[in-house]
This record gives sequence, structure tokens and C-alpha cells, in this order.
Amino acid sequence: MSLGKYLALDKIANFFTVIKQNGGIRGSLYKMYRQDDLKDGVLVGQDEFGNKYYENPRFFFGRNRWVEYSDNFNMDYDGSQVTAEWFGWLHYKTDLPPHEDPSRPKYKWMVPFTENMSGTTGQYTPYSTTRPKIEPWVPPRKSSV
Amino acid sequence: MQRMLRQPLTRALALSSPSRAAPLAARRYAEVVPQPDKVEVFIDDKPVYVPPGTTVLQAAAQVGVEIPRFCYHERLAVAGNCRMCLVEVEKSPKPVAACAMPVMKGMRVKTNSDLTRKAREGVMEFLLVNHPLDCPICDQGGECDLQDQSMAFGSDKSRFTDIHFSGKRAVEDKDVGPLIKTIMTRCIHCTRCIRFASEVAGVDDLGTTGRGTDMQVGTYVEKMFLSELSGNIIDLCPVGALTSKPYSFVARPWETRRIDSVDVLDPLGSNIVVTTRTNEVLRILPRTNEEINEEWLSDKSRFACDGLKRQRLVTPLMTDSRGNLTPVEWEDAIVAAARALRDCPPDKLLAVAGDMADAESLVALKDLVNRLGSELVCTEQYFPLEGSGIDLRSTYLLNTGIANVEEADFVLLIGTNVRFEAPLLNTRIRKAFMHKETDVALIGPQVDLTYDYMHVGDSASIVKDLASGTSSHEVVRKLEQAKRPVVILGADQLKTSEGAALLAYTQELALRLQDKLQDKEWKVLNVLQRTASQVAALDIGYKPGVGAHLSNAKVVYLLGADSGVVTRDSLPKDAVVIYQGHHGDVGASIADVVLPGAAYTEKRATYVNAEGRAQQTLPAVTAPGKAREDWKIISVQKPMSGKLDVQLKSLEDYFMTDAISRASPTMAKCVQAVLKQKQATY
Repeated sequence: MSLGKYLALDKIANFFTVIKQNGGIRGSLYKMYRQDDLKDGVLVGQDEFGNKYYENPRFFFGRNRWVEYSDNFNMDYDGSQVTAEWFGWLHYKTDLPPHEDPSRPKYKWMVPFTENMSGTTGQYTPYSTTRPKIEPWVPPRKSSV
Repeated sequence: MQRMLRQPLTRALALSSPSRAAPLAARRYAEVVPQPDKVEVFIDDKPVYVPPGTTVLQAAAQVGVEIPRFCYHERLAVAGNCRMCLVEVEKSPKPVAACAMPVMKGMRVKTNSDLTRKAREGVMEFLLVNHPLDCPICDQGGECDLQDQSMAFGSDKSRFTDIHFSGKRAVEDKDVGPLIKTIMTRCIHCTRCIRFASEVAGVDDLGTTGRGTDMQVGTYVEKMFLSELSGNIIDLCPVGALTSKPYSFVARPWETRRIDSVDVLDPLGSNIVVTTRTNEVLRILPRTNEEINEEWLSDKSRFACDGLKRQRLVTPLMTDSRGNLTPVEWEDAIVAAARALRDCPPDKLLAVAGDMADAESLVALKDLVNRLGSELVCTEQYFPLEGSGIDLRSTYLLNTGIANVEEADFVLLIGTNVRFEAPLLNTRIRKAFMHKETDVALIGPQVDLTYDYMHVGDSASIVKDLASGTSSHEVVRKLEQAKRPVVILGADQLKTSEGAALLAYTQELALRLQDKLQDKEWKVLNVLQRTASQVAALDIGYKPGVGAHLSNAKVVYLLGADSGVVTRDSLPKDAVVIYQGHHGDVGASIADVVLPGAAYTEKRATYVNAEGRAQQTLPAVTAPGKAREDWKIISVQKPMSGKLDVQLKSLEDYFMTDAISRASPTMAKCVQAVLKQKQATY
């Protein structure tokens, strides 16, 4: 064990690396505010939303891969914004990130990934397909607007 | 000769025809014909006295013995072709058809003997040989005479083996229009539909072709059976050969609930049964009422019930800032309506009642408007107010009565196509024409009334000439000779500027005829209203017609007023229109506030028909969505003013409240005691 480690100087070094990687003191404070966590790691890739995926084997398994949500989401980020492509890598189903995995199927009919729309106007609402017993009167629109 | 022309040849030539008209409960104007002595017959050894000419079947019905039948129907001519009513008559070599056999003195009829039962079984066997046993997919299943009677009178086993050889008889289906579905293979040739069409409906479209196994009931050429009464042949058909097209494969009779109600689509107020399941009106059937509709129902009343499920107002609506009607909560709509009513100057507040407004909501609306200081409550239909106006009820009623029209010997129709304005009144006139030598004359456009009539002309001045007696037309002589003349004036004619004069002349004519009558009870003058609500509205005190008040109105309350009398163009620009009703139609589309009400199948409501008979509808289903009963909607808009107060506030108020307690010395002592106690220091 080196002296540096013995005196925990590497921790201090890590601290400065983390601060530096996260954009200085202001940047680090913003990230702490936004995601309650401050880590240094290797940027593995980025998805279509702009979410960044990091890896750092120094952390133990389960913590060593993480996502930093795109700034576009602001504070409204949630787990469903991780795209299906990156989901597997982030959850250790595979070690190959999507751009390095040649075996992933790509078909024309695959729809673009959407986040969970519950609670928004875009949410799915189940509807009945039977004809209603009573058909209500729809008033004629007077103005086209 | 005339008699022969009016009735089918076979009937005219019949020597003694049993009475075909249904027995009426009470015929006030029946001629006093000396009744011949009654004859005694024995039905299953039970003696019964009946007038000669009665059939065995009718005699049996009098002692409560029901003889099975398919072709016999009490309101139609006797055909005697189904042979189901065969009974054994003592000293007769063969069983006889009870429906066609007049009774004879001392006749002994056995309706339950071995011979009778064997005859029935045989007839039933033959009927079933030529009938497809498709009851599981037949719409008549559960209300089928053939089904019921084969259970009661048929054999318990089948000997039918021909299915392996030549198969069952099969007949092509006919297309007789959008109302009636035909499955002619099921037809048992009872000819009830044919007889109904030619006798009651007056449309000689149906008939039979071929004979024996090849016999078919049909329209000869490919033709629709279009009559305003066509739906009745569905009820008449004892099997599933004629069924309702809109109702096909919808429900079984044992799944449905039947609620007695009253029809409001024509002014007669026919009695109906509303059949519902899972809060949905499935079909409407007639309910027997000898005084109004007998057992018939017009097609509009019967088949228009699917309109109760479309174009409905299910939620209160209010115009938004862009002028579009948008759904709102009841509270908002009521508050908006009540505010508009409150802020309106009394002389600019107008209420208009429509075609299907019931008496309860009419009263509620009149009370509301009167309380706000306005007297402007109107109906859409105009009625002349000159002379006595609507002060006398008899000026706007069908005074003779629907059933009594049958007794008339001359009917004068003025400006009304009674066939379509009141189809079941027309069947009465037709019945009188067919069976009672009644003559009919019409002033107005020449239309097909299903019977011959004397067309006097289409000019209103003819009525004037008739009234003054200056006319030399043949109809004058006929009218004056008539013992029980009836004059029916169509209410539509009274809308015009000449309406008042026309009504006055008609009244004069009727009065002149009335004075000459021997039967002082007989009423001559009749006004046939067009809508179900008009009589009740006039009874309650509504003014007929909106008149000139519209152009001055600030708030207009439409109670189902949909006939287009009130339009946006006829109102000032800033007028507020409140519409209360059940369908989105003319009224709702011009409204600022729409309050959804209940249709006639959804409320307990009173309607007064054209002859002034008050009848009640019963709720068969609940009103859809947020719609409510009409009188309730109106009554919550009552203006609230002042504080609530109670009379009896403390104990001394309690003891003496009426004549007895005020006279009671004990109670007086109690009051004294309370007052004394109040002054006490403790």
C-alpha cells in the first residue's frame, strides 16, 4: 500500500477529479442539486434524447453504471426516459453498449422509443369499443376556431 | 249496392254475418235495436244465453272456455281457414269450426272431448309439417301462438318422416319494407295480415297466390306494404312469419320489462307498452284501450322509439365566449338560467311550450313565469282567440270522442288529412264507413283516406256557405239528414289569418246541426289538434301561439319547443334563449342555455289527448346522462327571496294554534304559566 493511499491522498485526488469532471464547483453544485450524486466516470455513450451513460468500475457492481439525464428534461426526469437500447447495458443484461453491439436487430417497423406518458395529455386512456346506448347530440360549432 | 262496394264481396254476400266489431265496454250512442230473444247453448254442459248469430267460439268465451284459434281475430272478419278451433257438436257428424259456426238453440258443444282433442292434434300436426321448427332463432319465440298451442293442444310426438324424402315446404321471403321482416316459410296461412290490410288499414296490397302446398301470402307483385298501420300485422301474426325489422334478434320476451305508458307522437294518446331491457327501450307495443286505440298502434308511435337513443341532450350546455355550446355542470346552467330569468323585465319574459310537454312541467313553468311577473306563457300552435277563444274547453277538443266517431252517420272533415294526423281516428272513421253506412265528406286537398269520400272542394269559403246555409251542395242535404253528424276541423288551418273566421263558421255550422239533433247528448263540433301537449297547455291556461311577443322578448324559455316557431331571426339580438328538452333539434341549436330533460318514456307525466282525456306515462327507463325530469328542472329555478321563518318559536306559541286549542282553558293556563315563568327571576 502506497503512502498516498495510506494517507487517503487518492481520495482527495478523486475528489478533485470528480469536481473537475463535473464542471468545477458551480457545475458540481448544480449536479448535486439535480441528481443528489456526484461521480466521476467514463462516458460510454449517449442516446437520442441526450442522456449520457457513464461507467466507472471503481464503484461496486450496481453502482458502476449510471445515467445522467439530458438537461432537456430539467428536473422532470424518470427511469422511463432511458431508451430501450440502453436499458440492457444499464441493467447489466449486456456489457456491450448499443453502438458497439453488431448483433442487435433493427427493423423498419420498430417504433421510436417513448417515455411513460402517464399523467400527461399524451397518456393512454382505455375506451370502450361497444356502441353507446345513447348517442348524445353534438351542438353545431358556430365558429371554426 | 253501396254496401256491396264497401265490403269485400264474400262478406257482402254472406247471409248472416256475426258481429265483427269488438264488443265495446260502453256505447253511449248505440241505437236502441230491439234485441231478439237469446238462445240457450251448452258449452261443456254449462248453459249460456247468447244472442242468435253469436259464434260458438264467442259463446264459449263467455263461459271462460278458450278455444284455440289461429285465423280468428275478434276485430277482423271470420276466415275459418286454420281449422284449429274445431269442436265437437252433438248430433253433428263432423267437428265444426267454432269461429264460423253460429249457435243454434239447444246446441251442445264439447270443447274437450276425445273427438275435439283428436281434431286439434290432427290440425296441429299438419300445421307443424309445413312449419320450420326454427324456434331457437325465431323472433316470435316466447310469444308465439303456434308454440303455445302446440304445447297445449298438439301431439307429444312427431310422425314426420318426409324430411328424408322431399323435405319441408320452403317459401321465399318477401321484401315488404323497412318495418316488417318476413320469413314466409313460417307462415301458416291464417290470412290475418291480409284481412287487416284490406279491412282496417284499407290497403289491399296483401293477398294469397296458389293453393294447397303452393299457397303463398304476399303482395302479388314485388311491392312494399306501406301503410301507416303496417306494424299491427306484426302483432296479429300468430307465428314468426311477420316480425319487426328494427327489433329482429334484439331480445326475448321473457328478458324484458314491460311498462304501461302513453304515446305522445300523435294527439290521440294511444296506450302503449314500453318494453325495456338494461335501461334501454327496445320496442313499443300497443295496449288495448277500447276508447282510444282499440288494440292498434300507428307506425310512427311504434317504430320511432329508436329516436329516443339518438340526438339526446345528456348534459347541461351553455354557450362559451365563442358562442359554442359546451357541456357544463347542472349548477352552472341552473344558476345562469335563474339569473337570466331574475334579471329580465317581466314584460319581456316569454315561455314557449312545445309538442311533447307534459302537464306537470307546463304547470311548473307557468308558475315560475307568473311568479316572476310575466303572463307570457304560450304554446307553439296557434288557436284563434276571437270570440270566446279558448275559454270554453269544447272549442278546442275532439268533443265527439274517438270511440264515438264510429257511431256517426256522417263525417265532415275540414282541412285535415286525418289518415296521417291521427291514424287511429281514421281507422274509426273507416270502420264506421265499412260497417255502419257512414258517409264521409272532405273539404281540403284531395287525399287518400283509404275509403271513399265526397270531395266538396278545397276552398275555405265552402265552410262559410255551409254555415250560412247558402250552399246548394249535396253535402248540405246529407249533413242535415244525418242523425249523428260529426264535423272535424284540423287545427293546422287555424294558424292562418283566416283561421278565426274558419273556426267561427265551423262552430256555426256545428251549432246549426246540433240544434236539429234528436240525440241531445251527441257532440258535433270537433277540433283535431296536431300535438300531444296542446290540449293540456290550453287547459292549464297557456296562450296559443307566440304572436308578436317574440320581437320584444329578452329571455325566452323553450320547453321542448322544436317546431321552428321561435327562431334567432325573430328574436332581438341580445335575447337569452333557455331550452329545456330531450333532443337536440331546432330549439337546442338556438339556445344559450340547454337543460336536458326526460323524454316520455323516462318520466311519470300527464298528457291530455285530443278528446281531453288525461293519461299518465310511467318511467320505463331512466333519463340518459345528467338529464332530469322536466318539472324538477323548472322547480329548482324558482326565485328564492327572503329569509326562512318558523311560526312556532317558543313554548307559548305552541299551546294555542287552532280553534280548539284556543278555546281550551287548560291551554290558556299553560300559556299563562309560560309567560309567568318568563317573568320569574329563576
